[in-house]
Amino acid sequence: MSEFRYVTKGINRTDGELIVTGRAMYACDMELPGMLVAKILRSPYSHARIKGINTDKAKGLEGVKAVISGADIGYRRFSFIDTPAFPADQTPLAVDKVRFAGEEVAAVAAVNEEIAAKALDLIEVEYEELPSVFDPEEAMKEGAPAIHEIVKPNTTTAWEDFGVPSSKSRPYKTVNNISNKNLIQYGNIEKGFEEAEYIREDRFEIPSTSHVAMEPHVAVASFQPTGKLDVWLTHMGYEHKRFWLAKLLDIPISKVRVHKTYVGGAFGGKISIFPFEFIAAYFSRVTLRPVKIILPREEVFAGCPPSRRMIVYLKTGVKKHGRITAQQVKLIDDVGAYRRSSPTALYLAHFFRNPIYSIPSIKHEGYGVYTNKLYTSAKRGHSLSQMVFAVEAQLDMICDELGLDKVEMRFKNFRKKGDTLPNGDKLRSYGLPECLKEAAEKIGWEEKYGKEKFRGLGIGTASMFSGAHNFPFSSAAMIRLNHDGRMILYTGQTEFGIGVDTVMAQIASEVLNCPLDYIVVNSGDSEVSPHDLGNWLSGGIFVSGEAVRRAALDLRDQMLKHAATGLDIPIEDLEMKGGWIIPGSDKSKRLSFSDMSRYGIQMAGGDPFIGKGYVKCVPEVHFWKGKYNKTASLSSGKGRFTEAYGLTLAIAHVEVNPETGEVHILEIVIADDCGTPINIKSVEGQIMSQAVMGIGDVLYEEVRISNGIVMNPNLLDYRVPTANDIPKISSIIVDSYEPNGPFGAKEVGESPRAAVISAISNAICNAIGERIYDLPMTSDRIKRALRSKST
Amino acid sequence: MKRSVLLVVNGDKHEMFIEPNLTLLGLLRENLNLKGAKEACGIGACGACTVIMDGKPVNACIVLAVEAEGKEIETIEGLAEGNDLHPLQRSFVDHHSFQCGFCTPGTIMTAKAFLNRNPKPSRGCQGNVNSHTLMTTIFQGVNKRGVADHE
Ligand code: FES
Repeated sequence: MSEFRYVTKGINRTDGELIVTGRAMYACDMELPGMLVAKILRSPYSHARIKGINTDKAKGLEGVKAVISGADIGYRRFSFIDTPAFPADQTPLAVDKVRFAGEEVAAVAAVNEEIAAKALDLIEVEYEELPSVFDPEEAMKEGAPAIHEIVKPNTTTAWEDFGVPSSKSRPYKTVNNISNKNLIQYGNIEKGFEEAEYIREDRFEIPSTSHVAMEPHVAVASFQPTGKLDVWLTHMGYEHKRFWLAKLLDIPISKVRVHKTYVGGAFGGKISIFPFEFIAAYFSRVTLRPVKIILPREEVFAGCPPSRRMIVYLKTGVKKHGRITAQQVKLIDDVGAYRRSSPTALYLAHFFRNPIYSIPSIKHEGYGVYTNKLYTSAKRGHSLSQMVFAVEAQLDMICDELGLDKVEMRFKNFRKKGDTLPNGDKLRSYGLPECLKEAAEKIGWEEKYGKEKFRGLGIGTASMFSGAHNFPFSSAAMIRLNHDGRMILYTGQTEFGIGVDTVMAQIASEVLNCPLDYIVVNSGDSEVSPHDLGNWLSGGIFVSGEAVRRAALDLRDQMLKHAATGLDIPIEDLEMKGGWIIPGSDKSKRLSFSDMSRYGIQMAGGDPFIGKGYVKCVPEVHFWKGKYNKTASLSSGKGRFTEAYGLTLAIAHVEVNPETGEVHILEIVIADDCGTPINIKSVEGQIMSQAVMGIGDVLYEEVRISNGIVMNPNLLDYRVPTANDIPKISSIIVDSYEPNGPFGAKEVGESPRAAVISAISNAICNAIGERIYDLPMTSDRIKRALRSKST
Repeated sequence: MKRSVLLVVNGDKHEMFIEPNLTLLGLLRENLNLKGAKEACGIGACGACTVIMDGKPVNACIVLAVEAEGKEIETIEGLAEGNDLHPLQRSFVDHHSFQCGFCTPGTIMTAKAFLNRNPKPSRGCQGNVNSHTLMTTIFQGVNKRGVADHE
């Protein structure tokens, strides 16, 4: 790594001063003249028909500027996924019926919060309660209450709008509350199980956990008399937001400007569109005044989607020596009232496990099932952690049963560098075996395993894509030379904790071999930056970072070409260094970048020197005018999806108090293959934060829902790890280079969480000598498991 | 019934006419437009809204503005001296002690109050929730500062 000058270094955040002085501007800090405050009325019922809404009294209250309900908005549908096969099923405000307690029913915009709150109390809604179903396995049975009967799209679907060639939007008829399903198969599952010498079948259940982004969800919208909409949002990429705002408001995408904001954490919880964002924009349009909505924490917990609740039925067959011959999965995704990302989640649950172990025969069957509960969505690792939890738990059980070494067993089943996965993706870099080797050494597996009473060790593995060919499919970047020889870099990347301005500046500086402060980064403004994948799909560095690298290369080439002409020196003789272009043959003739700006203007017809770079995710997958090539199928698993996989292996060492059931985590070691770390400090931060998140996932986090009501919608009742809960955590970045990534980099922001969840939960079960099949592993559950063992 | 309060914020005197149920956080953010302190939970559980009142860290979301009558309030906006960051702020930057930065102002103010009382800490900030959870780097930030300040 030593050949790099800027990349890999743990350079301080270039915007650090902004953050530590409280000057970084978050959407909740935004104030505009004449701004109104909006509030939302939510359903108290988990399933009810809306027989009537009377908003007259609310409208009559002094200071109220607008009131809306589903009757005013009608069926404008949106979703995370909106394809002809799975058309959007949600509306910003309930139209005919409510499907979960917490669903948006009406909203008010008023001059201040107090009046808005008063007006909500004046809205009269007449409900007719309907029978609810909360258990997904009950909901799938014949005769269960029907939550959605038929969804009849009244517009084209988003896929058609993006130009994906497929059939036209059509009604979706829900049978037995099944929202969506998939079936992925390869090898020969029957034969695989016949060949097995030991087979296990288990059921695991994983609850929803909240993202607990410290900044609650916020939208500020300002509709201009010119027909333009300005918004400041809490988000993870502007393309989804502006696409949906434009579609729902029926205005051109180019007239929606998502302004740069700092975002106070996201973790997958702020992607795609939410009802409150539409409501803010709609109010602004009808009042022609800026409108702000800040969701109170309680509404974030009870009205915004947490992670996916999943039930995993898992069957694995192995040879006596530990080689896996077949694995069969039946996955039930309890989606709640609306489907949102479930088709993706069912696919990813399989797809993210694929790079880890080489399993000759697989059958993966998934069902998204509607229930009358808060709908769910992506959270850091989107369904990866749920599957990993089940798979790694079962592998440990198999090892215990057959007396196999847990480390050896995993080595035996890992894939190899260079492998091609069943869908055609290639593992050009694959550091997982090194991760296991180094992590086991560091934690002292050999010395400790099985030798300590009420202490245990556990392993978790994970892999994550580095961007995928989902909308918006690609990223672009621009870099422009200024009079002073410095450059402005435009990237659509969003700042919610990644340090994008810093890492993108590092990449550009590396290419142009100029000091870091020569690069001024303008990020996250949809009107200024070219299109961008956003900071989800774990493609920030791999895709957008590569676009930045190519933009810088383009600028570099332009400057060198003109310098060669200007100096009449062959281009091969020129070197870029420290903000200069230096001829090897005569260093005294060197030109500064500022000289080049002047040259462009005076001698090259006013050439402004603007470099551009762009990257398409998985270029071989593309479509154009009704034809497409190799698009991945979410329902069959066929087709390429990504160019590179980030990989993580975690090992945890824990101690359990058998009297209290309390868990004391002694150490977590996380070995990560993220290719080249662009900023080592940021990478360590990403890993660390996921470790702490994983601790919460295993030990106490759960959005508890009883009869459709979220029981712990605040930060006192919903416990997250605090300073005292944090053990010794070490991270190891294994030596790895991803040939397709910028300077060899790939994903790091999502996979460690899943690996840590498995590692800790396996370590707990190892410590107590008993298996717990559900998360979280609270002290009560642990005590119960210990009691059942002794009886 | 509105009431008047007189308080000092970052050395500046303010006399305001406010609703009795207005929180100190509301007064700072809405009335004085000081947006550094943030609201993340609104119930005193996370520390994102921490400011210093007469030398002690308080969760401004659960302190009524009227309780601040006659008090000296310090917020993140008053920490740097002109162009010079406070050593704690510097240390947070140098140790990568934040990611999204949303809770950073509150955490820094907690740390400042803590270091005032306990210049060589082993661990502080127990009350602060940080979902990006760089607590170890926050500790580094706070501890290094504590040591450097008093060596
Ligand atoms: S916002 Fe005040 S303690 Fe959380």
